[in-house]
Parts: sequence; C-alpha cells; structure tokens
Amino acid sequence: MLKIIDLHARIGEKEILRGINLEINPGEVHAIMGPNGSGKSTLAAVLAGREMFTVTQGKVLYMGQDLLAMAPEERARMGVFLGFQYPVEIPGLSNVNFMKAAVNEHRKYKNLPALSAAEFLKLMREKMAIVGMDTSFGNRGVNVGFSGGEKKRNEIFQMAMLEPTLAFLDETDSGLDVDALRVVAQGVNKLKTKENSFVVITHYQRLLDYIVPDVVHVLYKGQIIKTSGKELALEVEENGYDHLISAL
Amino acid sequence: MKEYTYLPEVRQAFRCSVPDAGIRQVFMVDGLLQEPSGMENGWELTPGKDGRGLIMTVRGDHFSSPVQIISVRSEDMPHPVEFTNEWILAPGARMQLIVCDHTIKEFLYRTIRNTVISLGDGAQLDILFMQNEHKESSYKLEVNASLGEEALLDCHIISLYGGTISNTVNAIMEKPGARCNLDGLYLADGTQSIEYNVDVKHLSGNCSSNQLFKGVLDNRARASFRGTILVAKDSQKTEAFQANHNLLLTKEAKITTKPQLEIYADDVKCSHGASIGRLDELGLFYLRSRGISLPEAQTLQQMAFVQDVLGKIKTDTIRERLEKMVESRLRGEFSKCSHCTMHCC
Repeated sequence: MLKIIDLHARIGEKEILRGINLEINPGEVHAIMGPNGSGKSTLAAVLAGREMFTVTQGKVLYMGQDLLAMAPEERARMGVFLGFQYPVEIPGLSNVNFMKAAVNEHRKYKNLPALSAAEFLKLMREKMAIVGMDTSFGNRGVNVGFSGGEKKRNEIFQMAMLEPTLAFLDETDSGLDVDALRVVAQGVNKLKTKENSFVVITHYQRLLDYIVPDVVHVLYKGQIIKTSGKELALEVEENGYDHLISAL
Repeated sequence: MKEYTYLPEVRQAFRCSVPDAGIRQVFMVDGLLQEPSGMENGWELTPGKDGRGLIMTVRGDHFSSPVQIISVRSEDMPHPVEFTNEWILAPGARMQLIVCDHTIKEFLYRTIRNTVISLGDGAQLDILFMQNEHKESSYKLEVNASLGEEALLDCHIISLYGGTISNTVNAIMEKPGARCNLDGLYLADGTQSIEYNVDVKHLSGNCSSNQLFKGVLDNRARASFRGTILVAKDSQKTEAFQANHNLLLTKEAKITTKPQLEIYADDVKCSHGASIGRLDELGLFYLRSRGISLPEAQTLQQMAFVQDVLGKIKTDTIRERLEKMVESRLRGEFSKCSHCTMHCC
C-alpha cells in the first residue's frame, strides 16, 4: 500500500528526515515511537502534503502512485488521512459544513452524487456515536472551545466520516485521560478492516494496549533505527531510548 | 395630490420573493417613492419634503412584519441623485426594515442616500442596508441616527457590490439606556474602493454600543475604516465596543483602519480593536488534508471569517439568502439574488 524509499525532508536549512525506509501493507497497524524531535510528526506531515517541508531526496509510492507529486487534497481523496497532533480551530465554520464539504469532495472524486441533507445528518450521527461525541458538536465551530480530548475525538470522528485507507494518527493519545483514550482507541478499532492500515505515532505504550500494532518502529534523528514487533514498545517503555541509541 | 410614476417593469423585475424579506415591498426609482403606503397598518410612508426620498412614521409594534424598500437607479442622469429617507419611530414603536439598492443597468450612476433615523423613547429599529450595485456605480450612504431613552438600533450594512462605496454612520445616544449595534461587511475586488466612517457619540449615561465591521479585499481593492467612539463627560456606565477586522487576499489589496476612542467619563467599559490579516496557511492545510480543494478551502475560510457579521442578522431566511450571495461573491461569481427575476445585480 505504502512504500517509502530513502525519504529526506527539510524545513528551511534544517534536515529533519534523513533517509526513511518503510513499507506498509493493507490491514497492518504500525506504531512509530521515538524521542522528541526525532521527526515523527514531520514524517506524517510530509506524507499528508504539508508544504512547509521540502522533500530533498527519495520517493513515496502509495497504491503504486507517486504520493509526493499529489496535492494534499488529492492524497486525502485517495484515502490518506492525517489525525493532527494539534487540531486546528476554525471559528465561523461549523463541523457540519466542514464535513459536508469534505465528504462531498470525496464522493465527487468517486463519481458518486452528493449526499442529501438527511443522508448526511444520518451519517454524521452514526459516526459521532462511534467516538461518543454529542451531536451538538456538529453545529459548533471546528474545534473552537473544544477540550484537548474533544479535539482528538473530533479527529477520529472525521476519520470515521472519510473512511481512509491509510491513516496517520499523530499523538492522538497526548492530552487524553484514560477514559477518553479508551474511547478514541475503540473508535480506531471499530474502523479497522483487512483493507485499511494505520500508523500510530505515540510516546506511550499505553495507547498500544488498546490499539495493538503489528509492527513498531523507533525513529531517531530522522531515521528508523529499529523495527520489531509489539514487544519493542514494551521494551521502550521499560528502558527508554538510550540503549537503542547507544547500540547504534 | 402628486401623481406617482408607476413603473411596472421595475416592479416586475425587482420583485423580491425572499421569504420574510417584507410583508410589504415598496419601490423607489431614482429616489422617487412610487406610491405612498402603509396608512392602514399604523405606519405611514410618504414622499420626502422636496418630493424625493421618503418619510416613514411608525407607531406601535410592527417588528414581526418587516417592510422592504427596493431602491433602484434607472435614468441615465449625469449628475448625482441625492435624496433623504427619514425613519421616525414614535416612543415604543418597533419596526424592521430592509433597504435593497440596485441599478437597472451598468451605467455610471452616482447616488447620495441620506438617511435620518429618529428613535423615540423605547423604540426599536432593525435596519439592513443591502448594497448591491455594480462595479461602475458610485454610492454614498450617510446615516444620522438619534436614540431616545432605552431605544434600540440594530443597523447592518452589507456592501456586496459597487465601484466606489462610502458609508457614514453617525449614531447619537441622546438619552439614558439607549443601545445600538452597528455592523458591516464589505467585500471588494478589482479596483473597487470602499470607505466606512462610523461615529458613535455617547451623550448620556447607561448606554451601550457595539460595532463589528469586517472586510475581505481581493486584487487591487482599497478600503478604509475610521471609527470613533466618543463618551461625554457625564456619560457614566457607558459600555462601548468597536472591532474592525480585515482579510487581505493579495499583496496589492490595501486597507487603512483607524479606530479611535475619546473618553471623558471615568466609569465606563470601552474597547476597540483592529486587525489586518491573510488566510491562515495551517487552516488551509487542515481543510485540504480532508480532501477539500484549495479554492474551496479558501472560500470556506473567508466565509468563516465573515460569519459573525452575517450572524447578527436575526431573520433566518434573510441571513441564509445573504450567506449564499456573499459566498457566490467570494467565489467570484455573479452575486445575483436568485429570487430577483432581473438578475442584473
């Protein structure tokens, strides 16, 4: 599904990704861990198409196509989703209108007619239930006045609405209490199928108790320094990153 | 008794079927009232003192039955047409007005519209000015309002289209407890130029005023906002707020904003704020990351920006119609009101 080959990216003069190689197959859950500043969020942002980063080397194939050549919206319509670490507030734009625009763009891409108002609201209620979100959030400005947990639920709700093939969840667990974490994780698990894949970026093993990864990667200074099974997360939790780094 | 020129084609062309726009539509052509109106309803509409413009006197509560004034420029007159509309509300009277300004064709019309608003004690007026002319026209609106005790004025100005637009609003809080809410939205592109001058004078205590003006400027458009709040020496317990926010879509668009406060009383709550900004790059990326195209994301962000001004319009059907018109204007489409058969504005 996704093949990253020797990916290098920089912001301004600063090189952040220094040769990432990664392959993700349908139905897999990958976790990316790593100390602060190792490039985890940058990797997710580059793959989603954030223009502030410049790719200097390497390529990314998504469904056999050159992902880096596509605009962010084209990537999204082809099934790439980024759950933001810091979801953006947009005062004046309601969640309903935001999602209506997004869902209809996705449908247009798939040559499907736009949903009627009733169909849309039904879909929205259904998906809000997955993350235990009150329907009143629909009419509120996008993320405006939402608590940290509500913002993260909103990300998972959007993911549920758009049904991506490949979702990157950038520290979706940060700022969540245990109950919210469980709700968010359950939401992800409900959306998991044999065809779609998830990449979970996290600092903590705790999330991985709920969303069990098939593969765990440790990123350090823009490179993946170790890839292993879910036991790697436990190892990191217990011993930190130092021994992995000193083994380099 | 003056004989009124009845222009059936104007009436037909600009007939407005937006729900709740007005239980009565009154036409003015080049500043001439087409027929007197409303005597039977407790409000009265007659031509102005010099034959041009109009005088409306209101008694009693007519708030749930708005009146729409459809004011059309028609004749090719080289000189500006100037007229004065007076809205006089007796103590306790309530009224909602929608004033729609149009032109019949793309002639270089010049129009000066003076508006006098006089609110008796406890009177309430909600007045919406819809400025939808064309890129050649020159439009000047001057509103002079005086508010009695506990009177309430809600004044909305939507500058949708016009070559040169100049809006001046002077509101005087004459007696205690008066309240006024002034808001405006200006959208300009090409080489359009829009000017707003707002002056609120608090001459009495316990009054409140709120101003919210927002603009979106594209291409080489120019706009200026000058807003003054004056609180006189004995006007204690005044609450007066002013905000002017602008979104510039190009490097060439230009806005000059000058908020001013002059406070001579010491027990008041006043604030002013002005900002000039551009579209938010991170916000655009967020929208695009959900599959929304860049132009659509830009439109959504602009609509989000103007939403709070449009939100001040209380009648749902009118607000929804205006939202659609503003949206099509921001999309660079011809912002006609689809309910009007003429489709010329």
